[in-house]
Amino acid sequence: AAVPSQVVPGADPSVRQLCFCWGPAEMLVCETLFGRRGGSRSRSRRPLLPAALSRCVAGTGEAGPSSSRVFVVRKDQDIYIQTLRKLFNESHGIFLGLQRSEEELAGKPRKAQLVQVSKNYRSVIRACMEDMHQAAISTREPALQSQYSTQVSILSAMELIWNLCEILFVEAAAAGPLLLRLLDWVRLHVCDVDNMVREVLSSEQPSKHELFWNVVDIFVLQGRMDEARHLLSKEATAHPSSGNMYKILDDLMKKMPVPSLGNTQTLTEMELKWQHWHEECQRYLQDGTFASDPRMESICKILLGDEDAILEKKELMTTWYHFLVTRLLYSHPTVKPMELRFYAQAGNTRISSLDLFQGGESSPEPLDTILMAAFEFEIHQVIKECSIALSNWWFVAHLTDLLDHCKLLQSHNLYFGSNMREFLLLEYASGLFSHHSLWQLGVDYFDHCPEYGRVYLELHIERIPLNTEQKALKVLRICEQRQMHEQVRSICKIMAMKALRNNRLGSALSWSIRAKDAAFATLISDRFLKDYCERGSFSDLDLIDNLGPSMLLSDRLTFLGKYREFHRLYGEQRFKEAAQLLLMLMTAHIAPCSFWMTLLTDALPLLEQKEVIFSAEQTYELMGCLEDLTVGKSEKQKFQDDNETTKVEMLRLALARNLARVIVKEGTLEGS
Amino acid sequence: QVSVINTVDTSHEDMIHDAQMDYYGTRLATCSSDRSVKIFDVRNGGQILIADLRGHEGPVWQVAWAHPMYGNILASCSYDRKVIVWKEENGTWEKTYEYTGHDSSVNSVCWAPHDYGLILACGSSDGAISLLSYTGDGQWEVKKLSNAHTIGCNAVSWAPAVVPGSLIEPPSGQKPNYIKRFASGGCDNLVKIWKEEDGQWKEEQKLEAHSDWVRDVAWAPSIGLPTSTIASCSQDGRVFIWTCDDASGNSWSPKLLHKFNDVVWHVSWSITANILAVSGGDNKVTLWKESVDGLWACISDVNKGQGGVSAVTEGQQNEQ
Repeated sequence: AAVPSQVVPGADPSVRQLCFCWGPAEMLVCETLFGRRGGSRSRSRRPLLPAALSRCVAGTGEAGPSSSRVFVVRKDQDIYIQTLRKLFNESHGIFLGLQRSEEELAGKPRKAQLVQVSKNYRSVIRACMEDMHQAAISTREPALQSQYSTQVSILSAMELIWNLCEILFVEAAAAGPLLLRLLDWVRLHVCDVDNMVREVLSSEQPSKHELFWNVVDIFVLQGRMDEARHLLSKEATAHPSSGNMYKILDDLMKKMPVPSLGNTQTLTEMELKWQHWHEECQRYLQDGTFASDPRMESICKILLGDEDAILEKKELMTTWYHFLVTRLLYSHPTVKPMELRFYAQAGNTRISSLDLFQGGESSPEPLDTILMAAFEFEIHQVIKECSIALSNWWFVAHLTDLLDHCKLLQSHNLYFGSNMREFLLLEYASGLFSHHSLWQLGVDYFDHCPEYGRVYLELHIERIPLNTEQKALKVLRICEQRQMHEQVRSICKIMAMKALRNNRLGSALSWSIRAKDAAFATLISDRFLKDYCERGSFSDLDLIDNLGPSMLLSDRLTFLGKYREFHRLYGEQRFKEAAQLLLMLMTAHIAPCSFWMTLLTDALPLLEQKEVIFSAEQTYELMGCLEDLTVGKSEKQKFQDDNETTKVEMLRLALARNLARVIVKEGTLEGS
Repeated sequence: QVSVINTVDTSHEDMIHDAQMDYYGTRLATCSSDRSVKIFDVRNGGQILIADLRGHEGPVWQVAWAHPMYGNILASCSYDRKVIVWKEENGTWEKTYEYTGHDSSVNSVCWAPHDYGLILACGSSDGAISLLSYTGDGQWEVKKLSNAHTIGCNAVSWAPAVVPGSLIEPPSGQKPNYIKRFASGGCDNLVKIWKEEDGQWKEEQKLEAHSDWVRDVAWAPSIGLPTSTIASCSQDGRVFIWTCDDASGNSWSPKLLHKFNDVVWHVSWSITANILAVSGGDNKVTLWKESVDGLWACISDVNKGQGGVSAVTEGQQNEQ
């Protein structure tokens, strides 16, 4: 089989190769010539010229405007169709409900519930179809209209297939009810009878309408006996002379045995009755009762299951599967599920319904292949064919998941050891991630893929652009809920880095705390301190004041927090506490050496207070700190920085004075 | 079925050698024989030129985006023997580091997994591989593996970060003990695997299967399995998929993906490693996926043309 070939339109068909790159959602393709790079040897025999001459490589004129384009290419996905949004959102809800109920009712028989889920999915498809149809008729653009119409057809086909799968696989209708379900299916989906019926019935003399007999025929073909009889009665009144014929036909139609849904009769009873009735019809036909009216005779033949008579009404039935169901109705109404294949496919003695219907003219369309596989109960085949035929994973993913819940799929081991259900869900959910808002739905799907869901989520969630803080928080919450620690850290670091680049220090700091990134917290704290030194004030005071235990993340951060606390204490005039804290910052080496000068300078006002604040011991310690600071410097350094020298002098003086005062104070007895 | 959703006219004055999307698919970097590196904002189908970076003195062969947690950083390598690291600072892109330690064209650059820090591997025609590690404060540390491949090294690709052993969260701030590995391909027809042990890089494995220069290697992203997978392609027209089943990295076995009729230049894995893209001399890009029975099948090919798309049918099995 040939490989699907996807051509990038507009690219230059000359002797150039294609360079390719994966993006998170899109792919990049651009024209290039690989022969140039890497090593002086080239298969294409083009010498690797030095840069200056690279433009004039002889021959094919490679350089030129057409070589400078990069194509951003994307796989066509339905997620980009706005009108299908409802489909994705609502089916997501149904999917989740199904997974959860499985967990709750594990093991208990739940056919009725599964059928309901199936019906829910189908009603979502139908709702979408309706929306799409509305869009098609209300748009003025022919291109859009055609696109919408195509979508309607696709959705319609999806619902058709799903409905059949529901009957055969989910409900697994048994012989008897099976036929009734199939009749419903045909009536609902195949050929639009309603318009025709309406037209005929609303006319003045229905029996004179040109489509009258078409309508009668289609009613018969679809087993709608009462409606057929109703119409025929009109014809009967118009032709009193043929009264007897009509009465007999009416009677036969009334008496036709149909399978019942309840337990009122067994299959055997039904078969007996049917055999009886069949023979009665046979007698009337052979007696020539209907000989004078070909139309009536044709109806009788149909009732007898005459294939040729049924096939004559091909145009009315429009499809082979309608033909199939009609055949069953009139030749084998108690057909068992497993016998369906004999009517559908080509067997030894039988020709397939498809071939009979089409007369071997055309080859089957994808839809035909899928339905055929369903009638043959080849579930895996149905899924495979649907995957190929449809451009989206939505259908196969949800249908397969439902069938898996019905315990119908054997574990069909794929490369990664996961089963088909998971494989399809992974593909579907991965597709959702390339959409700016639908990705959130994808998260839940990954959650319900036990083998690879988590790792796929990890790989995809990292690629979601964190354009806004809200989006980042949303992604973060998802990661935190699932203990995806690596991703949490990564996201926080990215946001911290972004904030830092935009000079939003407070934001950067809170992100790095959340990321538990000590190194980054240190970096940002340094920035804060630097800003303070330059401007004399702190930004983001709220944040720093309320660091709490996260202060301990990094030494620098601790210092920042404590230093700010010092300023607060000073502002509240709690000088003794402030002094103690200040000293501790140096003696406990929480403050970096580079900052000591600033701290000591901060101590000055405390030393110059009227009241003595620093005790003798504290003063000695301060002096020690000052000496530690200055001892390393060479004479040359000392002389270079005048400002520095002055400060040191001032400090020495202030410290000495304080010492003097405090010695006196501490030496003096109270009261004396 | 694919559609072109955007055509970026880069206005490069000469052949483009590489185009790379950033992590989020919002920016595109291209490099060309015209010695420039360009960066575009391609959000919402647009194409806004953000930067036109000049600094190389010869054709620029490859560009590579670093992980966004380090900021907006791009590396480029060129025929002019230089590797340049560019960084966006205060809204403008500037050169932040230039490495000139190679004696010949630098053919490939690849950033290590972000978990290891900011580390760049460079492969050169002088046969050496350099590892540039950012140590902070604008400083970079260099480790050079000379004679990694005789004649020249054409490609480097890092293994995904996998923490060995325990799954317990290490205390915050402490880095888990990663075993760092990367693969390289060279003109000695070999694919080599390098491993860091006690701060030293050693050649761990030699993978022999190609009969001509190895043009590209790509280590597949990890999906949590204990297996490792590497794709390699060569002047000999073959693409091999190498797999190693055990965590100790000892036994690699090759599987021939396909033998093409011309040189295969480039291989790359999709994000979840389920599709391999192969760019060959036959003017096509083919996409390959592993099927149920372990065989690789081509799922489509992307080629140039004047429009029109052929019908979709089943994929074909590979030919041995």
